[in-house]
Amino acid sequence: MKRILWVSSLCLWGVIITLICLPFGAKAQGPIKIGIVDTYSGPPTTYTYDVRDAFKLAIDEVNAKGGVLGRKIEFTTRDDKFKVDICLSMAKELIMMEKVDILMGTINSAATLAVSEYCKGEKIPFIVTFSKSDKITGEKGHRYVFSVTENTAMIGKAAAAGLAKRPYVKYWIAGDDYEYGHALADGVWGNLKRLKPDVQLIGQSWWKVGEPELTPYLTAISAAKPDAVIFATGGASMVNAMKAAKATGFAERIPMFIHTATEHSTLAPLGLDAPEKVIGTSNYHFYYPDTPKNKAFAKAFKDAYGREPKVGALYGYLAAQFITRALTKAGKMDRERFIDALEGMKVDSPVGEIEMRAYDHQAMLPMYMGVTKKVAGYPFLIATDIVTIPASEVMPSIEEIKKVRGQ
Amino acid sequence: MAIGWAEIFCQFLVGISRSMILFIVCAGLSFILGVLRVPNIAHGSLYMIGAFATFSISKMIGGTYGFWVALALAPLLVVVVSLIAERLLFCHLYQREHLMLILFTFSVSLILGDLVKIVWGAEYRSVSPPEILKGSISLLGASVPRYNLFLIIIGPLVGIALWLFTTRTKIGKISRAAAVDREMVGVLGINVSWVFSFAFLVGCYLAGIGGALVAPTVSITLGMDHTLIIEAFLIVIIGGLGNMWGALVGSLIFGVTHSFGVLFWPQFAIVFPYMSVVIVLLLRPRGLLKSVW
Repeated sequence: MKRILWVSSLCLWGVIITLICLPFGAKAQGPIKIGIVDTYSGPPTTYTYDVRDAFKLAIDEVNAKGGVLGRKIEFTTRDDKFKVDICLSMAKELIMMEKVDILMGTINSAATLAVSEYCKGEKIPFIVTFSKSDKITGEKGHRYVFSVTENTAMIGKAAAAGLAKRPYVKYWIAGDDYEYGHALADGVWGNLKRLKPDVQLIGQSWWKVGEPELTPYLTAISAAKPDAVIFATGGASMVNAMKAAKATGFAERIPMFIHTATEHSTLAPLGLDAPEKVIGTSNYHFYYPDTPKNKAFAKAFKDAYGREPKVGALYGYLAAQFITRALTKAGKMDRERFIDALEGMKVDSPVGEIEMRAYDHQAMLPMYMGVTKKVAGYPFLIATDIVTIPASEVMPSIEEIKKVRGQ
Repeated sequence: MAIGWAEIFCQFLVGISRSMILFIVCAGLSFILGVLRVPNIAHGSLYMIGAFATFSISKMIGGTYGFWVALALAPLLVVVVSLIAERLLFCHLYQREHLMLILFTFSVSLILGDLVKIVWGAEYRSVSPPEILKGSISLLGASVPRYNLFLIIIGPLVGIALWLFTTRTKIGKISRAAAVDREMVGVLGINVSWVFSFAFLVGCYLAGIGGALVAPTVSITLGMDHTLIIEAFLIVIIGGLGNMWGALVGSLIFGVTHSFGVLFWPQFAIVFPYMSVVIVLLLRPRGLLKSVW
């Protein structure tokens, strides 16, 4: 009896010791871990799901070919509920408990800036996928933060470059009365005034965020008869502004510019009820540029998820490409070498070759300015007459970055 | 900038059309407040459910009739939801103090908000107006959306229907009596609980109609409930608690001052309706018309 006890307890010891040792033994050949903290509940999911899904598609492809450096890539997601404090604690949890090698996210600029500061201290590479504040890679940029998305400075430059080519002189600015709205309006207007000094601002209207009825604003703006209107809106107001523009016939009479008006995230929910002739800018369209690479990307995404890729899909794809290519170039999972490899790296993408600018870690994305139109064969409006504004015209100069960083 | 009479007139019509939606929702809120003495914060959530239901029904039916069927059915769905809420929760709490009721209805609004998220998801939804009401018509050179003109017609119709209900039907008269003196109504041998339940459903039905009517003009999204309920309470307060005509006057003041504020002083348009509320309350602290409280 005693002997049986002895043998069985020995066996138990053996099992426990193997269990303890196994993860350590496997660690050397285990997967490379990436953590994504982003908003996976509430309205922002319209944008964030596409980032995640395109990222997964690209990573699955890499893993199917054996991964990078002989190791698979594994990623874990966390929902920050669009809250700064939750986002930061989730990021900490991913870094400390899940021991991720690289962090990605988010769509909330304030949260991104908080996580970015934390990653700077922890020396963890952080790839920003959707936040638009130009502080991320500008004033608050540092060695460990990279952005694969546009920012308000780029949007302002792109919109101004596109609008300066049009004949409008008298402008009206209207938008959501909060940080993003004002930052966007200031960016567009400042750049436009510089490119075309004779433009005039004849009036402004600002409504509270989430204002349901924009019709009175549009009828009032019509009365002032501007040549064109710059709308600085985002989120739910985008749809409200487009609906009111359609119902009042505003878009027919006065040219209106709205950043992302031509983007599929805005046009898809409206179906055929979106107004035509609205000028918009976006980083990506699943139907433009009409290249084999983009067609293949859009098809693969649609086959996998049953919907057309929106702009977020481009960001997810870019993040996956930059990460896997930089890891291969670094030769091993070493954070400092990974960052060195990523600086100045160029990757091929559905919108052509994209460079990660070495100085400020901002991906150099071109912008597409187009006009909404009903086109036979699509159950929603698409952008037509697309003009490509190259990254060189969109990016803030290195001198500007140095200036905001106080160097 | 030159503002002509045509623009002023059109802006006035647009302001009134917004007032009509506010009036329909506020009439319901005010009715419940008058008869049941419940400040129902969940009223905004029922309005939101009405809008989401309109989206689903009009998409399911599709075609030219989609919206009209949705306009008829969505408020009924709201009534079903509120019947469940009333029998399960509200009916046990009518006698509690107001602070308690505010907390309770606020938590119901959060629960309903999450239910909407579970059922419809978090994406923006959009309903198109029926074919006949699309686009705008030109009035004296300025344009007004057809749908807004439709709202100006439908608002008074709902008002008249509610007035006929409360003055010409037996149950309506009992409801009004209960609003003034509920003990007396109980003494007369009328089942007050049943009257309350019915009045609650009538109020919620109006919230549903408001939601269905607003659907084609906005993006239907989570959070539209709380944006509305604050305005709705302000309107009910300036109009006089529980007074249906007060709700109409309050809505008109709110909608028209907002719309003229936007025309004449766009940077500060947000402030105008609230300024008018402050002025009314300074001059008449108990509301413009007679409060039933």
